[in-house]
Amino acid sequence: MLESLKAATFEVLETMFFIFPEHLEESADLFHGPGLRAWVPVEGPKKFRVGLTVPLPLAREMAANFLGLEKDEVPPDKLEDVLKETANMVAGSFLSQEKVPEAFYLKPPQAQHLDLDDQDWQDNAHHLLLAVDDAGLEVFMEKTK
Amino acid sequence: MAYNVLIVDDSATMRALIRKVLKISGLELGECFEGANGREALEILENHWVDLVLSDLHMPVMDGADLVKALRENHMWQTIPVVLITTEGRQDVLAPFFEKGIQGYIRKPFRPEDIKEKLQNILGEAWVPDARELEGCDF
Repeated sequence: MLESLKAATFEVLETMFFIFPEHLEESADLFHGPGLRAWVPVEGPKKFRVGLTVPLPLAREMAANFLGLEKDEVPPDKLEDVLKETANMVAGSFLSQEKVPEAFYLKPPQAQHLDLDDQDWQDNAHHLLLAVDDAGLEVFMEKTK
Repeated sequence: MAYNVLIVDDSATMRALIRKVLKISGLELGECFEGANGREALEILENHWVDLVLSDLHMPVMDGADLVKALRENHMWQTIPVVLITTEGRQDVLAPFFEKGIQGYIRKPFRPEDIKEKLQNILGEAWVPDARELEGCDF
């Protein structure tokens, strides 16, 4: 399942953002400072969410690439919007790749700002840690209530 | 003939991106309207002539499925071509929309060329033949 999540993430980042991530074999020292997390709730017979967490500079780079702007031209409010749309595309691509039954459907994406230094970045079965140059990128899928 | 296009997506960022792609795609673009959901789209259609609807599927308030249904049940709007631009890629979800009268779908993530090719297929000879090529465009 994580392979499908990885494939979905790579497809979205490469196609829409011209960003080519690498898998992080070790954890976590690329996640520091202020960050942004966006996710899409998936509902149906079971509930889970699919999302991404990135440091703010990477969020800014992604938004700049997506919108065709320079990094310093990206309006702050667009960072959340772009990352939410990214999570939306990753979740949609993941459902397709996993051939998830149609009873499962995507809810509107959500986002929150967070301090990356407060998070646990150990590798686990529910997320992938990727690297884009010197920035970390987490992709996760986890059950919800 | 210039085409009036209605873009329906709850993400303003995605609407802006699609609008940008349309501008460089070679489609002879008239007015470009935007709605954040199906209900806003219907309000725009009440007041403006639209030749093509590009709609997301999953949206709050009124989703793409209900928008397609409303369009096909209204004699004024039932012939307007509708293309879904959606994260949905599951064929069992998308197939029924063709029975409901959509002309095609474009899956997100998309390349600008995907939109160009799909609209070329649907609009056919309305396409500007010597349109600017997308490859190499910086947008």
